[in-house]
Amino acid sequence: MLKYVLKRVLAALITLFVLVSVVFFMVRVMPGEPFTSAKLTPAVAANMEKYYGFDKPLPVQYVQYIGKLLQGDFGYSMKYTNRTVNDIIGETFPFSADLGIRALVIAISFGLVLGIISALNRGNKIDFICVIIAIIGTSVPDFIMGAFLQYFFGIKWGLLPIAQYKGFEYTILPSVALAFFTLASVSRIMRSSMLEVVGQDYIKTAKAKGLSDLRIVGRHQIRNAIMPVITMLGPTVAAVLTGTFVIESIYAIPGMGKYYVESVSTNDYSMILGMTVFYGAFLIICNLIVDILYGIVDPRVRIATPVEDS
Amino acid sequence: MKKKLISLLLAGVLAFGLIGCGVYEQDGAAAAAGAADSQSAQAEGGEETAAEETGSTAASEKVFRYSETQAPTSLDPIKANCIEDNEVGHMTQECLVRNTAGNVEPGIAESWETSADGLTYTFHLRDALWSDGEPITANDFVYGLRRLMNPETASPYAFIGEYVKNGAAVEAGEKSVEELGISAPDDKTVVIELENNTPYFLSLIGSSCQFCPQRQDVVEKYGADYAATADKSIYSGPFVMVSSENQQYVFKKNENYWNAKMIKLDGAVLNVIPDQSTALAMYESGELDFVKLPTEQVANYDDVDHEYMNGNEDFIYINEDCDNKILKNKNFRLALNYGIDRNTYITLATNGVYAPCNALVMPLVSGAETTYGEEYKVESFPMDGDNELAKQYLETAMKEEGISDPKDIKVEITTTDVEASKIIAEVVQELWTQSLGITVTVRQVTYADIYGSVFPNGDYEVGYGGWGPDYSDPYTYLELFKSDCAYNYSNYKNDAVDKLLEDSKSETDVKKRMDMLNSAEKMLLDDGALVPLQLRQQHYLLNEKITGMNFFFCSINTDWTYAEYAE
Amino acid sequence: MGENGKEMTRDMFVIRGKNVNKMETMSRPNISFWQDAWRRLKKNKSAFTGLVIVVIYSLLAVFAPMFSRYGFSDMDPNSMNALPSLVHWLGCDSTGRDLWVRIWMGARVSLTIGLSAATINMCIGAVIGGLSGYYGGKLDMVVMRIVDILYGIPSLIVTILVMVVIGRGIATLIIAMCIVGWIGTCRFVRGEVYRLKNQDFVLAAKVLGVKNLSIIIRHIIPNIMGLLVTNLCMAIPGAIFQEAFLSYIGLGITPPNCSWGILAKEGIKMLRVAPHEVLIPAFFICTTMLALNLLGDGLRDALDPRLRGSEG
Repeated sequence: MLKYVLKRVLAALITLFVLVSVVFFMVRVMPGEPFTSAKLTPAVAANMEKYYGFDKPLPVQYVQYIGKLLQGDFGYSMKYTNRTVNDIIGETFPFSADLGIRALVIAISFGLVLGIISALNRGNKIDFICVIIAIIGTSVPDFIMGAFLQYFFGIKWGLLPIAQYKGFEYTILPSVALAFFTLASVSRIMRSSMLEVVGQDYIKTAKAKGLSDLRIVGRHQIRNAIMPVITMLGPTVAAVLTGTFVIESIYAIPGMGKYYVESVSTNDYSMILGMTVFYGAFLIICNLIVDILYGIVDPRVRIATPVEDS
Repeated sequence: MKKKLISLLLAGVLAFGLIGCGVYEQDGAAAAAGAADSQSAQAEGGEETAAEETGSTAASEKVFRYSETQAPTSLDPIKANCIEDNEVGHMTQECLVRNTAGNVEPGIAESWETSADGLTYTFHLRDALWSDGEPITANDFVYGLRRLMNPETASPYAFIGEYVKNGAAVEAGEKSVEELGISAPDDKTVVIELENNTPYFLSLIGSSCQFCPQRQDVVEKYGADYAATADKSIYSGPFVMVSSENQQYVFKKNENYWNAKMIKLDGAVLNVIPDQSTALAMYESGELDFVKLPTEQVANYDDVDHEYMNGNEDFIYINEDCDNKILKNKNFRLALNYGIDRNTYITLATNGVYAPCNALVMPLVSGAETTYGEEYKVESFPMDGDNELAKQYLETAMKEEGISDPKDIKVEITTTDVEASKIIAEVVQELWTQSLGITVTVRQVTYADIYGSVFPNGDYEVGYGGWGPDYSDPYTYLELFKSDCAYNYSNYKNDAVDKLLEDSKSETDVKKRMDMLNSAEKMLLDDGALVPLQLRQQHYLLNEKITGMNFFFCSINTDWTYAEYAE
Repeated sequence: MGENGKEMTRDMFVIRGKNVNKMETMSRPNISFWQDAWRRLKKNKSAFTGLVIVVIYSLLAVFAPMFSRYGFSDMDPNSMNALPSLVHWLGCDSTGRDLWVRIWMGARVSLTIGLSAATINMCIGAVIGGLSGYYGGKLDMVVMRIVDILYGIPSLIVTILVMVVIGRGIATLIIAMCIVGWIGTCRFVRGEVYRLKNQDFVLAAKVLGVKNLSIIIRHIIPNIMGLLVTNLCMAIPGAIFQEAFLSYIGLGITPPNCSWGILAKEGIKMLRVAPHEVLIPAFFICTTMLALNLLGDGLRDALDPRLRGSEG
């Protein structure tokens, strides 16, 4: 197991390096320039390019960038001219992570419960209601969900604060709005997965053995059905924790999402790369954890041991 | 196994709770009032009472709370690059003079003289202090301007210093910064030499924070990190910034400001609220004192809203250098202009909120004595459009170009991904299709693309763009169509216009100069060089208790320097 | 067994006549796999409702704009933000364009893009994920690292670059969505295959000498069909809104064309002024998803080989 983890960590570092390199060159071929303003004169543009080292050949810039990256330095943002990307990530990530964790806790706990209830009541009214909730959750986008929750709970009924992130009650609406899609996905996948499992032989065996329904559901069905949910959650966790543009903008939360999206549309090269490395590292870690969890949750699966080296 | 899952879940909940105690924002209003107890908002439990307390301190402490959709890009006044940056600079730094809603008042300079040729300005400084108590000297202004024009600083707005003698050459690295036309004969005198006669120079330096003094020791202490955050800077203006964290910028009255007795507010808080409807809701619940209204909401606030012109004029550039030959035809360009019913356009695209516009120069800019709009009535395309005339021009153009069916004429409008720009392009597309019967398509590109490559490289046919003036003079708009101007995105070249604009630079008679500029504008409109659309009329809501706000259309929109909070 | 436990003998039976013609006929009509599936689908009430909704929406998308008296791009200053009425069945948007026509024009784009992008993604993802999970080892390691990289690249950059290379349009949009869209399905199919490949029925097939590919197609994929269908149904709204986002930054369809996602995006701005402008597109997106989900569940049951011939 340890050997496997070490191997994966090494692979992760290589993956991250490739990711940075690919994105480094990709952003340079994107149309547009990082310095954009209706009032930018060629002389000013030339000075700014020199300031950020763009006057050097691209391979030299690449080597310099990687050199700085190894020291953990993402460089200065090109839009926010005197702030470093490290500084911006350091300031915004705690907010995104806080919001993300709340949303994930809501999404996973309620999603699993909803999915299980739905599957156990297959075909009857309860199932139908759960399915409708899940479908609304997956087909109503975050910008509508966020705006509606804000309108009703914040503005119309005045039950909760409208925006910003200044205390526990401020976190409720954005985390529920953010959780909804994941909640719905988890419950849909859990339901389907439970239904796949229910027809399997070992469930029949368990029934034949005379195990109580509760034990069957608990020990066999859920445990076997939860894997697809975990698979799905890997990238979701990374995405949710590193900031979501729409919810953060509706609720004026000072998180990372805004910078991530904005950097691409303003060609802020150093910001794009910094955010990509940060998010990429997060994602790779999440996926690694998922792969390890396969082995823990389902003992028959041993992804961890490289059995087949054919 | 289930136990493991449950414990995992529990761990999550625990993390949820733990982090929940850590990261909340401070209440900005309370911070502005210098209340340390705002920290209590972070403490576990009791948040509600904490919030209430801070709310009450805010009310008694006269703090102006407002919002912007965009965060300032830089707190370094030398690198200020947009209205948001410049507004912050205007509040926290003091230039030689202060421009309040178009009126030039003394700033650090008590008095000044202008030479007869209008090329040399001599400023006499008063005794004034930095926020740390050090005196502001003439050398601080020299250092500031040199830093602005120094190529190594790479200020995105350096072009604004090109009015100063040798400005452009220093910016391009052709001359050393010492050769810049600014000097300090003694600690209390600043002499600025200009490249050309610039009648609007005082107005310009009073509203552009790039001309503010700079403290060499502080700038050098922080280097590239200068003004990265509120505490890494030093202030000369009416307010100091005490915090710039978490999309909230907190200002406090500068007790060392030379004119501190005129400043009535204790402080202010700028909240960055990206979503305009969110900001509006916060205003309604009393969390903000000032909010700009999105156009679709204006009708709901008919009696209580106010308005000001923010100086932005929107028009359609016609690229004279593109492959679409018909756009080189003057009659076709006129057909495009007469083919738009600007009143209908305003109704459809802006809910009737903005002002329709059929000229290039915004009427509120200074004229010879009063405003340009009062002195010169520009007669051009009727606001309601003129379909008959448009068709006539179109037919003439089609004959000249040998085209028989208007449908064969294809015009592509390039616009940005900004939400308002899309609807504008759609409305223009519809109006031209209806009135002229030509085929109009819309192409959307990102903002980085349009000013990064599409406009500068002339890679478009007609494009939706706009212009915000840097100073109150018709030249700021007319310059866009001067052939050697860096922002001449339509590649327009008309020798007569060029000559008039060039000659206006050396004309010292104010009235004659204005006449020249007006003739140039007429020529541009007669030639159909652009399709003017609208002037942005910004509607806003303001807390009734607040008076003394100023609004301006150049570089600074909202000026709360002299705002007062009634008891 | 005979009476009283006596042994049965041949003379106990009598031939009552032999009809050679009848011998070869079947008592029940021969039904193919698809006929059986269709029969089961029809019996499934909720699935059938879903099918009916999908068919009605598709027909309306094709025909409604043709028979309306309003053009989908006609603006009318007098009916800006008009509420639903007899004149404008679904009201008008902020520039006075008839929403009934725009909804069905938008349906053409959204249904095409949503269905095709989601289906293509599912197919690519299932194949790559299936192979990667089944063979495991080095192949799996490499594929999963590629997946990590693709996940890490901001998808907007990929889309912009695709557009630079092949130009704008619906095809571009679908291609751009597919370049990174398959990785979700891929990871998930791979995970499922890992789980299933050591199970008895797969081992049994292996022992019997069934080829690997045929094990994946005949034994593993049918077992995860339900999850695939669920995934597909969830991917469709994602694709619809991604299209809206991309169109907004100029990478998708061009104005005055519209899609459901664009209508919803334009409508949300008007939430406090004219809420019907966001509620109507949201309603159609939700009901379509509901219909597709019901249909999907029904199809899954109908196509499930384990349930074949049963009345379930």
